[in-house]
Amino acid sequence: MEPLTIGIIGAACLVGLAVLGVRIAFAAALVGTIGLMVMLPNPIAGLMTAGTVPYDKSVKYTLSVLPMFILIGYLAYYARMTETSFEAARRWFGWLPGGLAIGTIFAVAAFSAVSGASTAAAAVFSRVAIPEMLKAKYDRRLAAGVVAAGSTLDSLIPPSALLVIYGILVEVSIGKLLVAGFVPGFISALVYSAIVLIRCSRNPDIGPRITGYSWSQRFESLPGTAPIWIVIGLIFTSMLWGWATPTEAGALGAFSVFCFALWYGMKWDDLKGALLDSAKLTVMIFTIIWGVLIFVRFLGFARLPDAFASWVVDLALPPVMIIVAIYVVYFILGMFMDAIGMMLLTLPVFYPVVMALGYDPIWFGIMVVKLCGIGLLTPPVGLACYVVNGVRPDIPLGDVFRGIWPFVLADILTVALLTAYPQLVTFIVAD
Amino acid sequence: MAAAHGNASPVGRPPADAPLIARLDYWYGRLEEALNLLAALSIFVLMMVGMIQILGRTIFDFPIEGYIDWIEFFAILYAVAGISYCQSQGGHIRMEIVLGTMRGRRLWFFEALAVVIGLVVVGLLVYSTWQNFERAWRIGDSSMDIKLPLWPSKLVVPVALATLWLRLLLQLVGYLRLFLDPTRTPLAVPVAQTMAEAARKEIDDAMRALEIEQRQRTRG
Repeated sequence: MEPLTIGIIGAACLVGLAVLGVRIAFAAALVGTIGLMVMLPNPIAGLMTAGTVPYDKSVKYTLSVLPMFILIGYLAYYARMTETSFEAARRWFGWLPGGLAIGTIFAVAAFSAVSGASTAAAAVFSRVAIPEMLKAKYDRRLAAGVVAAGSTLDSLIPPSALLVIYGILVEVSIGKLLVAGFVPGFISALVYSAIVLIRCSRNPDIGPRITGYSWSQRFESLPGTAPIWIVIGLIFTSMLWGWATPTEAGALGAFSVFCFALWYGMKWDDLKGALLDSAKLTVMIFTIIWGVLIFVRFLGFARLPDAFASWVVDLALPPVMIIVAIYVVYFILGMFMDAIGMMLLTLPVFYPVVMALGYDPIWFGIMVVKLCGIGLLTPPVGLACYVVNGVRPDIPLGDVFRGIWPFVLADILTVALLTAYPQLVTFIVAD
Repeated sequence: MAAAHGNASPVGRPPADAPLIARLDYWYGRLEEALNLLAALSIFVLMMVGMIQILGRTIFDFPIEGYIDWIEFFAILYAVAGISYCQSQGGHIRMEIVLGTMRGRRLWFFEALAVVIGLVVVGLLVYSTWQNFERAWRIGDSSMDIKLPLWPSKLVVPVALATLWLRLLLQLVGYLRLFLDPTRTPLAVPVAQTMAEAARKEIDDAMRALEIEQRQRTRG
């Protein structure tokens, strides 16, 4: 049998097993291992090749940034970030039309970035921010929508584990990815805010202004948000100016959040819990990474990615059309799959195509991660929306989904903008 | 979607007359927790060492000798030691589009099938990662910079995978037990949740943050 045929059969088997509910890491490792056993001169050689992957890929120094980012997230719960950030956001942005909603976008995005957990951010801010917005007579769809949408901005703002995973899989600079994500993440937050501002200016009833804070009250609210700025700032500046490796910056970030947590009275049991949770999430991500990398090695022997890339290039379609087709695939997959699984399953095939079309690897990473964020919002599996509805059962799920549509449209606009002007992503990491 | 699960097993120690599988699940779970704790410790050490390294390097111009070699030596602990614990909690990612629509015997059949596939691949990998360790042992493979022997960390992989293999076996028994008699209470298996249940679990976890802030305020 032709290697390419074996590759196509393997890829189809992987999709089949994944749909049947086999853990993606095991499905990918199985197809990869058996594929290598079939393709290499003797099965034992194939098995041995597969057997080197879990160790070789896991212990690489560049991957050690992941547990650090994850630990920052779990320690973030103890650093008193949620209410302080919301309070600061209210005082600084409240005076704008829809200001409380705009403030919520920035607060939830910042907390979500540092904690690395969109769903946790959505849950916490549904409890903290939605009651305040409803008290101020905000429209409940708007209130639910900003919390759900804002929580998905974590994927681009450092520290972003998703960008690290992309970097590991396609072997591009993790430092550059982390730096490059910041501007699009910020643009996304601005576009969200613009949408709220426009809607609330035209219809002040859905988002009234909150006035009455003095400048001194505004500045008083800032010190409480220090853990957030320290983490984002440490990681962003160290990557931008190169004064630390991602792991070192992550360690320093985790250590500073750890100190804040101790200061606020974190107990031994809390620390143990945070570490155990970090270990569980870390091993989950590492397992799926090496599982998929066994599959990728098999695909490489089958020459499937190359063949697919040259087939797509030979179609002689305008590159932007192919990129848009890939976006559509992610948009649809995002409705059914979680971000890590979606990225790891699709990138081995899509990435070579996008590179063959001449796009920038850093830029593509940002776009993929942005699309993963949209997947957290869109029905039927928009987990962020389910979480908001779970915390606020008085806001029906249908209302939450209706509330997020303006932001999904905003995201599509942002994606279009970043596709038309890729330099918005790449200028900051240009050599 | 993400695999959102909770282990069906009771949290506390099962009584002496509990079914054998419940007792096995409990005691095996303790072993897995110990391994996960080891992984957790390695993450804490990674943080401290990274912090010391960056301060040492940038302020005192005194980096840790063989820093990268040491990190890579212990990295295997956080990378694989907790793999079985994660499986016991249903933590590894999967899609639940199809499984989510199933109930009763059909569901337990496909759950068991997924576990059998896990047993096959993990079994193959236990063998090949053991060979990988044995090779490192035989040729005295060592790290680039400070020549640390690599066999101890390569040994962690087959050991962790063997632990996972036994957990999968336990889960297979658990699912077959339910397949034979779907009216039984699930034991020793993670139970799949609907979207709303998954969201509920995320919320319960996240609300910790608010409880902690509350606690801090009442004290401070």
